[in-house]
Amino acid sequence: MSIPIVPKLLRAHLSDLSANNARIDGRSQWEGRNLVVEHSILPRAEGSARVRMGDTIVLAGVKFQIMQPYPDRPNQGGLMCSADVRPIAGRNWEAGPPSPEAIELGRVVDRGIRESGCIDVDSLCIIPGEKAWQVILDLFAVSDDGNLFDAFALAGIAALRNATVPAERFEVGEDYALPVSKTPIMCSYHKVGGRFVYDACSREELGGDERIHITLGDDDNVHSLQKGLKGIFSPEEFSEIMTNARERTKELRKIVDSM
Amino acid sequence: MVMNSGPVARPDNMAKKNGAAGPRGNIRGQNLVVPGEDLGDSEDFEAGHGVIAISGRLKAVKQGRLREKGGSISVDPTHTRYIPRPGDLVIGYIEGCTNNLWFIELGAPFNAILPMSLGPGKVDFGGTRSVMDIGDAVLCRIQEVEETHSSVVTMKGMGLRKIRSGVVEEIDPHLLGRLIGKGGESLRRLKAEADCRIVVADNGRMWIDGELDGILDVRNKLSVISDRKNGGEN
Amino acid sequence: MGGYGDVQMIDENGLRMDGRSPGDIREVTIETGVIPVADGSCRMTWGTNEAIVAVYGPMEAHPRKIQRQDRAVLDVAYNMAPFSTTDRIRPGFNRRSREISKVTKDALESVVMLELYPRSKIRVTIEIVSAEAGTRCVGLTAASVALADAGIPMTDLVVSVASGKINDVVVCDLNKEEDNYGEADLPMGILPNSGELVFLQMDGDLSQEEFSQAWEYNMEAAQVVHGMMVEALKGGGSQ
Repeated sequence: MSIPIVPKLLRAHLSDLSANNARIDGRSQWEGRNLVVEHSILPRAEGSARVRMGDTIVLAGVKFQIMQPYPDRPNQGGLMCSADVRPIAGRNWEAGPPSPEAIELGRVVDRGIRESGCIDVDSLCIIPGEKAWQVILDLFAVSDDGNLFDAFALAGIAALRNATVPAERFEVGEDYALPVSKTPIMCSYHKVGGRFVYDACSREELGGDERIHITLGDDDNVHSLQKGLKGIFSPEEFSEIMTNARERTKELRKIVDSM
Repeated sequence: MVMNSGPVARPDNMAKKNGAAGPRGNIRGQNLVVPGEDLGDSEDFEAGHGVIAISGRLKAVKQGRLREKGGSISVDPTHTRYIPRPGDLVIGYIEGCTNNLWFIELGAPFNAILPMSLGPGKVDFGGTRSVMDIGDAVLCRIQEVEETHSSVVTMKGMGLRKIRSGVVEEIDPHLLGRLIGKGGESLRRLKAEADCRIVVADNGRMWIDGELDGILDVRNKLSVISDRKNGGEN
Repeated sequence: MGGYGDVQMIDENGLRMDGRSPGDIREVTIETGVIPVADGSCRMTWGTNEAIVAVYGPMEAHPRKIQRQDRAVLDVAYNMAPFSTTDRIRPGFNRRSREISKVTKDALESVVMLELYPRSKIRVTIEIVSAEAGTRCVGLTAASVALADAGIPMTDLVVSVASGKINDVVVCDLNKEEDNYGEADLPMGILPNSGELVFLQMDGDLSQEEFSQAWEYNMEAAQVVHGMMVEALKGGGSQ
């Protein structure tokens, strides 16, 4: 990813806005952008979703492969999650092998989903020690106007919850819906103009500092955390965004669960 | 914005070729054209912006609205990026510097250099960064554009300066006309309403300085102008 | 091409399995302005193919050594998303994608007026998010729409269509099943206003007569698709 110039005026303006409890696109501190979640939109994927948050658009696709279980876990299948941000998504994203930024995206989303235990890896076993399902979640950015993290996480869980295990095609029984027992939800906060805001747009990302990603499960349990980019934050700041994340994840979970 | 053929498209119900409808009809109306579209005999009109004459015919090479004026036809493009021309007032960002010049980002396909001799005031050799550093915004003028598009900007001139306060906003350059209005009327009204100082540069960037509320008003107005371009669909 | 079987793909009335006549193309939809952050974009569905194309630029070409003093460089990348096919595609280097990127670039360079933007770069990214058969044609066609949407000057749009042969019958625009049992494939990139070509590939086995028929089908189909491209572009620019 090429690093764009950070205009000094933008940083000063963001501080100014922040001091007046305002944001560059008119939202309030904890307000998200318009959200549209659709599922089963890709004909070749066994599960898929498209998420649109303002001008950020992402796709998620679920594919299945048959793998040999690892020797130390003969009764378990696998889950793999990878994110790719190709040059289609914005002028600063470049071609080539996944950038550190894209890899971080994929791994943070992966941890939230994996650690929530929403997919029972034991249920993915077909023949112990011989055959098991490997679930592959591919996250794909179409348009990056900021906060790809939340868009990816939301598209990822929505795609998994609507996925079908293609057992017939692999001649191992009948197709069935992939059992997904929980709905982990990620919320991302970006330090902009000296305070954290929810769902930063690209200009806030450009002129902002560090970001924090929180994934909470159905029971508000914490499943993954990540601090990214340069910046220093206090325990009080963290506790404030954690409080907000508890409310926000509940609202988002309702949307995903109702699909 | 979505074009849908029936379940099956057959050659026999194919759309009429554009030329068949009569190019003259196209020219009179404020019609939209797409690249490759035939615009009639090249003897009848001069080829203006977005139009080329080839083997005796005129042809659109850009997508946009057809305009006929003083014996020439041209296309007002629906989307443009800024291309520097000598004399343009532009707002750029310092992208880099060496001992005796700055590199300026203009939002154009090729960026410009600002030699120390054309910089603001007196600068000592090796002292460029202490005068204007990376990320600073500057209001400058295009001095020269070479054939191969290397361009040089200058800060020698009335009002040209480093921008120290306010914000810089950006819209597509072809929307500037709509922002400024006939004889500058719309822009004057906007300045008065928002009580802001606004300098509109040719590269689609503008410097807005004033109270925060005023800046926010101007930004709202800009986003309305930009959204309308997308037909409100997005 | 897939295996040559005795699978019957054409019924006694001369219709194909999906009800099309030999010269018919699949359903096509075209939409512009689908990527808000891009300078130009296009989503095109063709049967169950779906391509999304973004155009960025003209912008400064980095690194400096790729710059050309006399014209812009066109950077075209064609890629299939991992979930675009029945079997997942591993991301990363892929010889097929490289070749298609190259021939697509060669085709587009023939119409884009690169000489107007020396030293700059125009980036075209073609992503196939759902593949059926004929993705290179969909990608090239959608790319020309996205370039027009970005306001890039071009001497014409490019329509790309393929015809082939199944059960010894020449048919236009093979779908997935037909492609699997196809005996030939002739994709062409056609300039709709002049009928000239900027892209041509072929593999398989066609007699001279069959070849002429396939050529004819492609030319006819190009006019149909061109009508839709024009309508999508003009609809997208209206206010």
